[in-house]
Amino acid sequence: MASTNSTVIVGSKNFLENRLLAEMFAQLIESQTTLTVKRRFGLAGTQICFQALTTGAIDLYPEYTGTGLVTILGESAKQDPRAVLNQVRYEFRERWNLWWLSPLGFDNSYALALRRDHAQSLKIRTISDLAEAAPTLKAGFGYEFIERADGLPGLKHIYGLKFRDVVGMQQSLKYQATERGDIDVLDVYTTDGRLAVYDFVVLEDDQSFFPPYDAAALVRGETLEQHPELSKVLGLLTQALSPERMRELNLRIQEKGDAIPQVAHDALRNLHLVKEPQAPSSITIKKPTSFLSYMWERRGPLLVRTGEHLGLAGIGLSLGIIVALPLAFMLERWRTGAETMIRLIGMSQTIPSIALLAFMIPVFGVGVLPAIMALWIYSLYPIVRNTFSGLRDAAPTVVETGRALGMTEWQILRSVRLPLAAPTIMAGIRTAAIWTVGTATLAAFIGAGGLGVPIVSGLQLADVDVILSGALPATLLALIVDGFLGWVERLIQPKGMEPSQ
Amino acid sequence: MTHSSELEARKLSKRFPDGTTALEEIDWNVKQGETMVLIGESGSGKTTLLRLLNRLAEPSSGEIFIQGHPAAKQDPIALRRRLGYVSQDGGLFPHWTIHDNVCLVLQLLEWPIAQQDERFNSLLPLVNLDPIQIASRYPIELSGGQRQRVAVARALAADPPIVLFDEPFSALDPLTRHELHEQFLTLKTTIQKTMVLVTHDMAEAFRLGDRITVLKDGHIHQIGTPQELIDTPATPYVNSLIQHHLA
Repeated sequence: MASTNSTVIVGSKNFLENRLLAEMFAQLIESQTTLTVKRRFGLAGTQICFQALTTGAIDLYPEYTGTGLVTILGESAKQDPRAVLNQVRYEFRERWNLWWLSPLGFDNSYALALRRDHAQSLKIRTISDLAEAAPTLKAGFGYEFIERADGLPGLKHIYGLKFRDVVGMQQSLKYQATERGDIDVLDVYTTDGRLAVYDFVVLEDDQSFFPPYDAAALVRGETLEQHPELSKVLGLLTQALSPERMRELNLRIQEKGDAIPQVAHDALRNLHLVKEPQAPSSITIKKPTSFLSYMWERRGPLLVRTGEHLGLAGIGLSLGIIVALPLAFMLERWRTGAETMIRLIGMSQTIPSIALLAFMIPVFGVGVLPAIMALWIYSLYPIVRNTFSGLRDAAPTVVETGRALGMTEWQILRSVRLPLAAPTIMAGIRTAAIWTVGTATLAAFIGAGGLGVPIVSGLQLADVDVILSGALPATLLALIVDGFLGWVERLIQPKGMEPSQ
Repeated sequence: MTHSSELEARKLSKRFPDGTTALEEIDWNVKQGETMVLIGESGSGKTTLLRLLNRLAEPSSGEIFIQGHPAAKQDPIALRRRLGYVSQDGGLFPHWTIHDNVCLVLQLLEWPIAQQDERFNSLLPLVNLDPIQIASRYPIELSGGQRQRVAVARALAADPPIVLFDEPFSALDPLTRHELHEQFLTLKTTIQKTMVLVTHDMAEAFRLGDRITVLKDGHIHQIGTPQELIDTPATPYVNSLIQHHLA
């Protein structure tokens, strides 16, 4: 699963700056070494990324020292950047043989930002000032921030912050929410380009609560041993990116809609780390005016994504059918304990899909395999449930008469119960199919591709067109699959089951 | 006594796991060519007795003999193929044509197709149905009475010596039931089979039965011809049934 001899897998979290850094790492490795780079971008959150790294599903990804200290090691925050770096370096090496390379030169810290009109009218400059006004204000925070010790819980503890209301939001959508005046306070990344665009004031962390978040490449020790050149090449980025520079680069992606590979390339060229200018035609996306022409322009990649999507859902569903059908047959035969068993399987449905995907990572790593496993688990219940009840409830008096006339149980199953239960079984498969097609959009969070990829990046870009370019084909796909299986369902409806007149 | 009985039960009991007793030590027999009617209220044990005969249920104690041989020692599948069976709602396979339904047991016995067709064509007139008209239709396209006649034809297909009827006419409207009673009596004379028929309708019992077994709470109150039941009712319960019927 980990890198083969000549391949290095670069991962990233699912926000823009992290993707951009990962893309820069990837391009740098590609231009300065003979290694092949595989990209697994957009993994959902710190835990998934970190697990992917420890299991060898990826070789490296951009991480932040403060996150390593607080979120991964569970230590309390420290203020001295050097001390934080040394501590994470030591602990990660000792515990997991993971190496923090030299910081890239900017600190992407969390900060709190307040609408400028509030800041001025309430005369708020620091987070301590904010604490007094907080009970009248509404906060929009990222989900991770709400949970992290170096996020809201710690803030509450140190500053005694208590807001009128806290809304959990996707990081990238928050700025838009503020435009409507719904949200007064945001958690922001200090390198977020949009700070300059939207009218927000970053509050001073007067109690020095937030630890430093110096960005650096986090790499597996084994990978470094195998490819010693990696540390040298990635070392070229040491202290290469200032916070201002990073804000600029982020803003290009966030507001101008420039493609990440292009921005990464420009940044590297600016540092004289790559030579040849990339052919702009292949990369620059000049945003077409209408959604339809955007879709048309993206038809190639979208078709590939649709193929991936169908593959994920199709394999997951097929595995589901292969396991669920015989299982339901056995359960129907035994009866005792069947309901309990089916309920247990049913409980798998109550696990939120993104959580289920996350559970798969320690076992299967990231990528296609865990996604298929998760989809497989999701598809089991409706098929088992429908097959079981379909067989059990198939015309009991008819079954009894068949038995009385001397049919064996096998003959009854094959000639009576199965044909009579077929439409019910098919309905279960149909339900499972729609679920898997729908849930497969989440596979993008663990780097498995599919139509979720444009949805996830669209969410980060807060670009409705990009979201729709994934969501619309996904919906269409679900409708087509539903229609097709409905047709099959009617096809296998036994004759004589409906009045012919 | 064994050899003269086509069907016989000795000290036959059936208790269910929930503790209820459906039959308690009954001795009972049916002679060859005879039509025996089992009558009783629901819970009397009449259907249980029928199900014990073709081993859809197993006795708790006691024995059953089919044509002199202990039923318990026979393969249940083979046994059932030698006993015709008609259920209350016919039990036709809804997804099979009338032809296939009637030929079910023949197919199980692996008769050649041509012989199956021949049998089908000769069988349906016996139950007043036109084989050509009806062969490729599905049960849902027939009336209740037609379906029940098809069920009878199916039970007779492999020419079993014994045919069991589980309330075969109870779901039909009175006119159709009357018509089928007539046909049943005609059929009885033409085919000369041993038949056991379960019913809760005293009129039906009197009309169709050579002998009648009156069951109540798992006990046999009386076995006798309709005339014997009228002349010498064995228990007050039988008497009340007769009085009610004659009234």
